Amino acid sequence: MSRRNWRLEWPLHLMLVPGLIIALIFSYGPMVGIVIAFEDFIPVKGIFRSHWVGLEHFKYIYYLSETREVLRNTVFIAFMKIVGGLVAPLITALLLNEIRIKSFKRTVQTIVYMPHFLSWVIMAGILLDVLSPTSGIVNQFLSWLGFDNVFFLGNDQWFPYVLAGTDVLKEFGFGTVVYLAAITAVNPSLYEAAVLDGANRWKQTLNVTIPAIIPITILLTTLALGNVLNAGFDQVFNLYSPSVYSTGDILDTYVYRIGLASAQYGVATAVGLFKSVISLILISLSYLAAYRFANYRIF
Amino acid sequence: MLTNAKAKLKGSALLSLLLIMVTVTACNDNNSGSTASNANSSPKTSASDNATANASTSESKAATTPNGPTGKYDPPIELTTVRSVNSAAELPPGDSLDSNIWVKTFKDELGINLKNLWKVNDAQYQNKIAVTMASGDMPDFMEVDAQQFQILVEAGTIADLTDSYAKYASDLTKGSMEVNNGLRLKAATMNGKLMGIPVDGGDITDTELIYIRKDWLANVGLQPPKTMEDVINIALAFTKNDPDKNGKNDTYGLSLDLNLFNGWSGLDGFFNGYHAYPFNPTKGSATTLNFMKGPDGKVQWADTQPEVKTALGKLADLFKQGAIYPEFSVIDGMKSAELVTSGKVGMTFGAFWVPTWPINNMYKDVPGADWGIYPLVSSDDKPALSQSMTGLPSRFYVVSKKAEHPEAPILLLNTYIEKLYGHFDKNYHTVTVDGKDFGVFGLSPVRGGMPGNNPKAAAAVQAAKQSGDTSALNDEQKQYYDQVAKFEAGDKSMWAANKLWAADGVFSLLGQYSDNNLVFQSAYVGNPTTTMIAKCPSLRDEEVKMITSIIMGSKPLDYFDEWAANWLKSGGQDILDEVNASGQVR
Repeated sequence: MSRRNWRLEWPLHLMLVPGLIIALIFSYGPMVGIVIAFEDFIPVKGIFRSHWVGLEHFKYIYYLSETREVLRNTVFIAFMKIVGGLVAPLITALLLNEIRIKSFKRTVQTIVYMPHFLSWVIMAGILLDVLSPTSGIVNQFLSWLGFDNVFFLGNDQWFPYVLAGTDVLKEFGFGTVVYLAAITAVNPSLYEAAVLDGANRWKQTLNVTIPAIIPITILLTTLALGNVLNAGFDQVFNLYSPSVYSTGDILDTYVYRIGLASAQYGVATAVGLFKSVISLILISLSYLAAYRFANYRIF
Repeated sequence: MLTNAKAKLKGSALLSLLLIMVTVTACNDNNSGSTASNANSSPKTSASDNATANASTSESKAATTPNGPTGKYDPPIELTTVRSVNSAAELPPGDSLDSNIWVKTFKDELGINLKNLWKVNDAQYQNKIAVTMASGDMPDFMEVDAQQFQILVEAGTIADLTDSYAKYASDLTKGSMEVNNGLRLKAATMNGKLMGIPVDGGDITDTELIYIRKDWLANVGLQPPKTMEDVINIALAFTKNDPDKNGKNDTYGLSLDLNLFNGWSGLDGFFNGYHAYPFNPTKGSATTLNFMKGPDGKVQWADTQPEVKTALGKLADLFKQGAIYPEFSVIDGMKSAELVTSGKVGMTFGAFWVPTWPINNMYKDVPGADWGIYPLVSSDDKPALSQSMTGLPSRFYVVSKKAEHPEAPILLLNTYIEKLYGHFDKNYHTVTVDGKDFGVFGLSPVRGGMPGNNPKAAAAVQAAKQSGDTSALNDEQKQYYDQVAKFEAGDKSMWAANKLWAADGVFSLLGQYSDNNLVFQSAYVGNPTTTMIAKCPSLRDEEVKMITSIIMGSKPLDYFDEWAANWLKSGGQDILDEVNASGQVR
């Protein structure tokens, strides 16, 4: 049987080859560069003739005063983004699902999806105006409610929450679509049975819809854990300023300023490698969790 | 894992990875042997080299090489280089980097056939140079930045130009290199050997001036500033006395944004007024530091001096009284420019180019708006010195050790300077085709400024205006003269040009700065030291935070002392020691 399969399938396998070659060249080949993390890399000398420094760069990073602060910020911001990115689309999807006017539902769906297509450069420009303490609409609303004005982008207490909030604002439309699709796939006979048992809309949501989409929720959340150290270079880079470095600086922006802006390739690579190792551990854990709880597997 | 790795390419890893791939290729080349690699990479070059070599052995008497600043190679030689293409620049029809008036002139007048080994977009030039450096396959000459220059010197792959420069540089070229006590050359000299030809430096184009809305000054009944006290009074009057007469309290006195040190909305000029000379840009390289000699003859860092604290105190007070936009710490230069052009801010410190951006159209578009330009003022009876970092070159031409004619780039530079500054020839500067102007000066593979050229031109324009005799003006100066004349005839679009060249214009003021020795330059003329490269980025962040939080009042003024002590402890002392030991202190 396997022989017959092979005869039928070999063209399909052949089609894999270009992708495999590209992956080898562009994803595995460059891994040789990890060596740079262990040497005093000078471009003109090349990898093999640059001075070997062992773990020097890792020690340097360890003793830099900001490293722990930056690491903490990264994890904190990423964690809030994951929670926000889980809750906001889930609630929106459940609410949208209750709306029976198709055109309204579609319109809302499109509008919340729209920011996903804006780049952070544009979003940052918009947010700067919207969140301004003197003229921004958010602060005008706050003062109308009797609150003090808040300098959202310049206050280091608020900044991480602004990062999480704006990230959710930009991306939750995307998650909403995924959850809506999952809800659509729920077997209608379950609802009919629930109605026969006397369940109202709230009970239907609680006992049919939510249990039905729990697997996909767990799956998306566990996968997001693997990204915990990617707190979003584009977003932070476009929104932060020196006054909020203490709470808003993440690993990526820090490496950019410390490593690349002054051509310390060795240090930059060391941080990248460090990040990769942690990411590998996290993504392994989340894969394990996804396998356990949602029966998700790649092969 | 794969997708994860890809996502991470974005920031840190991308450049490193690129370098690696390159290095791997480079090593292959090296393994196959240097002769083979030469033959492989440029068979044409070596063939023609051989031909030249043969020719010179067989008919050595007929072949001539110039033995001074002028002369011609006969038979012609080939000279290789690499170029960056400015993506915004438009070339005259029919011209390219391979074929243009400069290439033709070099061929006809010097017997040098230029060959561009590669041409890339200027955004990619740095990366491509890193690749070239790694591969060891250098062209005869190329342009590099200060850090690459240092690496090349250490690697020993570039030629010593001391003798070539002495023998071949023309008087005009030497004059341009040796302004300011030869500071440009000094920066290119390592261990007594001239290792490169500086591209820029020697000028004071980043010194700051004060720009004030003249119509607002009239509205609040004040005169242009004579002292820093006046500057502060103007800023407060612009904030509180409704300078735009719209009946609303919606204006600010002093323009500022998160970049702090900047040619627009920057603070350099404000600090200079208090004899403080800090410099540490928020963006870009953090390794450009200003040093000054202390009373003990040792070098001190300008940013930790008590004068900086005095100026910071004044700024904090201005902020408290509402004279600075409350959100300055999160807006960039574009945004601060918007505030100014929309008539919300009436004063800024800035470089000479401010009239050309962003305030260039205000005279035309905003009724009544007019900007006055004033030299820096001082807080006491000592005159204010304007700080300048451009006295030192940041880019260099280097010549490969393997180049057969290391003097050839110097001959190119002689010709370039002669055509543009010696006997100005408009055809080499700008050509007009179908009514459209094309700058061709940038097509030359060597460029060199003539420091002080613009103030000189401004003076010539004004002299001609007074005497009414334009015969002494060269084509370049005549062009400026015409622009000023057009403005005076009522052409409002010539406002910026007028501000550049007129009697009260920026270049006249810059000329006054250098004539009266009103410029402050760092005492250290060397390249970034090891500790600077390692520590400055994080030290810079600390400094920017310190300045921002003191101005905004979230930290007391005395926090400055704490920060200064901390700077010394966390690497600053090492930097000072290195600089003192470098022997490159003026």
